[in-house]
Amino acid sequence: MRLFKNLFFLALLQGCGFAFGQNKELLYDFNEIPQSLMVNPGVLSDFQWYAGVPALSGISLHAGSSGISVNDIFADDGLDINDKVRDRAIGGMNIRDELSGIFQIELLNAGFRGRNPDNFYSFGIYAEGNSIGYWFKDYAILAVDGNADRLNEKFDLSHLKSRGELMNVFHFGINKRLKKGLTVGARAKIYSGIFDFNTTQNKGYFVTTPGQNNIYASTLDADMRLRTSGIDELLTANDEGRLAGTVLKRGFFGGNLGLGADLGFSYQPNEKWVVTASLLDLGFVYQTSDVKNYTLNGRATVEGAQVILPDALSDPNRDFWQELIDEIEALIPFEDNTKNYLAFRPTQLYASLRYNFGKEMASKVACNCEDLVSGSALRYRYANGVGGQLYMINRPRGPQMALTAFYLKRLGEALSLKATYTVDKFTYSNIGLGINVQAGPVNLYVLANNLLAYRNIADTNYASFMLGLNIISWGNN
Amino acid sequence: MLLALSLTMLFPGCSEKQDFDQYEQLSLEPILEGSLLYIEAPERIINQANGVMVYTFDLRFEAFSSSIFSERAIEGSITYFVENTTSKPLDVTAEFLDASGNVLDTENFTIAAAPTAIIQRDIEYGPNGRSIDIIKNTVTIRITAQNLGDTTSVSSFPDPKVKLTSRAQFRVRVK
Repeated sequence: MRLFKNLFFLALLQGCGFAFGQNKELLYDFNEIPQSLMVNPGVLSDFQWYAGVPALSGISLHAGSSGISVNDIFADDGLDINDKVRDRAIGGMNIRDELSGIFQIELLNAGFRGRNPDNFYSFGIYAEGNSIGYWFKDYAILAVDGNADRLNEKFDLSHLKSRGELMNVFHFGINKRLKKGLTVGARAKIYSGIFDFNTTQNKGYFVTTPGQNNIYASTLDADMRLRTSGIDELLTANDEGRLAGTVLKRGFFGGNLGLGADLGFSYQPNEKWVVTASLLDLGFVYQTSDVKNYTLNGRATVEGAQVILPDALSDPNRDFWQELIDEIEALIPFEDNTKNYLAFRPTQLYASLRYNFGKEMASKVACNCEDLVSGSALRYRYANGVGGQLYMINRPRGPQMALTAFYLKRLGEALSLKATYTVDKFTYSNIGLGINVQAGPVNLYVLANNLLAYRNIADTNYASFMLGLNIISWGNN
Repeated sequence: MLLALSLTMLFPGCSEKQDFDQYEQLSLEPILEGSLLYIEAPERIINQANGVMVYTFDLRFEAFSSSIFSERAIEGSITYFVENTTSKPLDVTAEFLDASGNVLDTENFTIAAAPTAIIQRDIEYGPNGRSIDIIKNTVTIRITAQNLGDTTSVSSFPDPKVKLTSRAQFRVRVK
């Protein structure tokens, strides 16, 4: 029963998400925003210090779905929902279409420049939840149509591929300017896992074939695994009305711990060009607390209950039904265990190339920049920047990629804008806009993606939104 | 362009009218099918039986009464195939019994001696047939075979036997 509660809980987590992409193309290399350090610890930063407003410095929610939208199913169009599900989900989606999600909320984020002004340190805590589930096509066909009249058609069990996690991340990063226009950065992370689930290594099939004795033979060849941690404890806490306390405890080192790192750099070969790249969440969580794993492994073929004389008459008390059940359970044991496991983080890669042009703007840095190892590079701020970005993320069905073209515009010291056009598996018409407002020391940014979809938000395959509030000092105000 | 985009951001998103109550009309009712029962009795066993009764036995069968099926079954059918290659006519009966031993349903097959065609019989359960409750409450299937001929003759067919095969096909409500 507990398993079914767990599965329901997981389905709920998964179902709540329609898909969330993780690409933060608007924030990436938007170095007026301190949180750009979170997507590239080696970003060109010129702050003296900054402090995010707790819980408001960085809120991000990325949502989308590949293959189908809310409008496809729930539009008030007079069509039968069963036909829409059959045509657009069952018939229209493939196993690479995904349903997934991510949110991040910064609880604390701050940074300061060290005694060596080429070094900038940043640290903080953020909560992150993410999940991904690929379209379980063959399971859906079984649920909608069943196996009738589908002789010899294999239902692929590997179509169930899903993972998700909720955690707090404690991080500390250093951003260091080196010689010849190179800035590098690294961020160490400690993950405090609240819960985790993954079922990404499933194999096997279910098939109905002509039987040897009876009419049909039903064969299940399964190698399936669901690994979970923290979920039992959360369900128990929920039943006992102490869910918030348990989430808090597990999020602050009372759950599963992991380690990770972000790496990045920015390189200015000359005053006009900037090349950047970063590798994020190169890490893992070692799941040791409240681990519960389930496996279904084996192969069995059933042709119904079989009674073959004269053997069947040898024992009048023989229980053919129980024999059948026992045989199936022996051939395909459904088991659980509490073995610890490693859950690797979805590692992300960013890279960009930017060309600066237009009016040269004064540096905000209160320093004699010529004294810095980076020399005069900090002086180069231009009113415009244009370029391209690459994004990749490691997913259970292999890496996903997005390509972005962007235009960055600085309107004085108070306002800067970044517009992007992104192509990825969700959409080919993703136009995004980020606005960064600097009012004295107060910094406010709002970044939104796929703006064209706002014409009919229910029909979008992708949407993301980020906002944050910081206090920033450049040391000269 | 940036200004235009900025203005776009300030406008609230629009959406075509959605009707989430449609979810209530979503119906997941797959049709599942598989083999049900296989019974085989060679002619030599029939000849060895003393008298008319060849065999009778109760087979516990709880696939239908298990909650995962009984709470979801809507309608369906059971198809029987009876093949007799023995030299004598036979009478085969399948009875569905509930937990108290009450007979809920009976299906009888009288099949002539070989050579004879395979008897196929489809029994519908649900709105267009017998009560689906018969299926939902069945925990035992009683099989009885009677020899309506002699106990000495031997069929000229290779490996003569009486064979009952069957399949079940039911529509179940998942949602």
